[in-house]
Amino acid sequence: MYNLHLSAEQLEIRDTVRDFVTREIKPAALKADRLDVQDRSLLTAQIDAASQLGLRTLALSEALGGAGADALTSCIVTEELAAGDADIAGVLSETSRLAHLLFDRAMTDAQRDMFLPKFLTGDRFHLAFAGAESDTRLGVNYHRPVAPEAVVKTTAVKSGGDYIVNGVKPGVANAPVAGLFAVLADTPGRGAGVLLVPADAPGVSVRAHEKAWHQGACGDVTFKDCKVPAGNLLGGDAAALLTGADAAGRGIPIFQAMNLGIGRAAYEAALDYAHLRVQGGRPIVEHQAIATKLAEIAIKLEVARAAIWQAAWASDHPEAVADRSLSDLPLQTMAQVFTAEMMLKATKDAAEVFGAMGVMRDMPLQKYVHDARVCLHSGDGNSDAKLRIAEVLAGYRRATNGAMAPAAE
Amino acid sequence: MDFNLSSEQRSWQMAARKFAEEEIRPISLQRDAIPTADGPFDWDIIKKGSKLGFRTLAVPKEWGGHGTDFVTQALVMTELAKADSAISKAFSQNWKWSHLISATCTEEQKERFLKPFVADDTFVLGKGITEPSAGSDNRLPPDDIKAGLKLKAERKGDEWILNGEKAFIANAPIGKLFFIDARTDHTVPLKQGTTLFLVPRDTPGFRIGKVFNKSGWRFYQNGEMIFENARVPHANVVGDVGGAVRKTGGRGGDTTGGDIFGDLELCANALGICDDACETAMRYAKTTKQGGQVLFAQQNVQLQINKMFMLTEALRSFVMRVAWEHDMKIHSCNAGLAMNYSTDVVQEVTELYMEVRGAQGCVMDHHTDKLVRDSIIWSHLAGDSVQRMKVARRLAAAA
Repeated sequence: MYNLHLSAEQLEIRDTVRDFVTREIKPAALKADRLDVQDRSLLTAQIDAASQLGLRTLALSEALGGAGADALTSCIVTEELAAGDADIAGVLSETSRLAHLLFDRAMTDAQRDMFLPKFLTGDRFHLAFAGAESDTRLGVNYHRPVAPEAVVKTTAVKSGGDYIVNGVKPGVANAPVAGLFAVLADTPGRGAGVLLVPADAPGVSVRAHEKAWHQGACGDVTFKDCKVPAGNLLGGDAAALLTGADAAGRGIPIFQAMNLGIGRAAYEAALDYAHLRVQGGRPIVEHQAIATKLAEIAIKLEVARAAIWQAAWASDHPEAVADRSLSDLPLQTMAQVFTAEMMLKATKDAAEVFGAMGVMRDMPLQKYVHDARVCLHSGDGNSDAKLRIAEVLAGYRRATNGAMAPAAE
Repeated sequence: MDFNLSSEQRSWQMAARKFAEEEIRPISLQRDAIPTADGPFDWDIIKKGSKLGFRTLAVPKEWGGHGTDFVTQALVMTELAKADSAISKAFSQNWKWSHLISATCTEEQKERFLKPFVADDTFVLGKGITEPSAGSDNRLPPDDIKAGLKLKAERKGDEWILNGEKAFIANAPIGKLFFIDARTDHTVPLKQGTTLFLVPRDTPGFRIGKVFNKSGWRFYQNGEMIFENARVPHANVVGDVGGAVRKTGGRGGDTTGGDIFGDLELCANALGICDDACETAMRYAKTTKQGGQVLFAQQNVQLQINKMFMLTEALRSFVMRVAWEHDMKIHSCNAGLAMNYSTDVVQEVTELYMEVRGAQGCVMDHHTDKLVRDSIIWSHLAGDSVQRMKVARRLAAAA
């Protein structure tokens, strides 16, 4: 049955988060020095407060101490957070997403016992996935198999009861704030595996990216003769689970929800300003040229949200794909391409409504444009994403060894 | 049809290219990276460029300038902008207003202002129109007499007393002489009630306020101007009292050098950014490898690069045609159209360049980031809906 009603619980979470963003995040996020895209620091106190609200453990199951949010709810929350601050949304949604994948789906009881208590009690304990490395983009490999050794150069070599990890992972989301890394590594003889590596393990070092060409926190992680117990190796096909390869482009569009939140922030600012700014004897919202622009932005937001929600709902209800209610195409990847392109246009149009104030570094609009650009070029990137969709259309089947999945999605 | 450049045009182009590559490009990213509003500007490059003629390029030869034609000016702006769009604009802003002086000032005013301008390597010009509550209203004045700029000028004997403020004024923080639009008659609409004044920096009662910190065009300074009983001699009125809007363009447009130059300036400058993006994209695609192959081997990269060059060359044709038409005194709406078009092109080309780089991961280098930040400036300067409607109305008036 076709039903677009959110549950009472989803509506309540949305209102709660929206209220939290208005009260706690926006006042800090909109300060002039936070709007400088070249030099913005994480709003740590607000991330802590959000953690206490349960947003860090949102997708973790209730049985394990989280809120058990499904994909759609996670997307709703992420959009709300990103409308306040994309960095906060980035950090929290990555941790929440990984909390579900790691604790609910990938870990053994013993592994959970080792890491869950620390995770639950530490508001600043975040999670990061150190996945694909260089040369893993689709590009030249479109419709061609990739040699596995080109994908993962980091190695995990068994030595007695331990694994010794060596390698460098560039641009890992959440790296500077992570308490625990899930590390994709080549385990000789066994192929790609995922190891749990605490951030304080000897031999782990993180170089945080300074300039904000990313959302949230990002850094390069180096593992140098890093020793972890053999019991830290995740079982099953954890590589496919964490890289999203097993979802085949039908995963959770949480990054797209963040992108949408950025567009919404720009739209709301532009709409407010269009009421206040008077030119030509009337508020500019009454001028056709501005009105049309605002309408176009609103259309982009609504259609992008529809694509994101559909992809999220499909992820929550695989049976709807199985019974042919929903398309079996890579809906998440499709939502990604559309949202990223539309939000850049939307933020640019919103900035234009502000005239010269749209390019001032102490005003938010230039930040929204920058943030939308970052989304457009993050993770998969739209060029690769289109090729990935095309591979599905063409019926090309890629081995689900995690080889070709985007690093940060 | 003759697309050949004269040897003089060619030689200015080469001189500009050399100066851009040897002097501007090495400092471009360094200046852009300085975070404060007034930090990126640098007198050293202005002085160096001035000695080579790039500050006084548009001043007629009889007044000691170089008297170059519009084609030369377009070529030079493009070459300088290829190394740094904002630095190119910092030079050409002076040409814009030296056109205005040549076209509208009396001999006596030229003697007082044009001569010192030519003689001093640090003499920079600006023009104050925009105010906090009057941007679009100055460009497309509505009939409402209250709309538009509010800076008030009242005559007292041989002086005019100016009160009010201007915002976002280019070169305000560094200029020595400014053209200031002020209302001399509040009982009539902007078009009839505005007078243009020459206001030297040391005018009593006149001061510069804050410098705006922009995301793009960082070298190029925009600031506030504050007038508190500023006293300007009547001898500094440009043209007739109440004649400012007619002098500098107005609805019909293109009546003096300042206005027709301004449209050409923005599209020629955009072309420089496009040239930079194209050249860098090609080099990057041919030298950066992914999975053992250069990026250029990918069809998508080839298509992106094709589009970048296609749009850039189309823009070049338009820019050069407009410059040539100006030299031939064929006044059409093409300059305005080219300016609007350059907004679309410079943004699409720089965004395509990002796509090319994106094929190798999401981290953009400083240079790429600067090109898109600079290109966004066109959104509110050359390609906003007011600038487009203004050109449409010129077209309608001419139809």
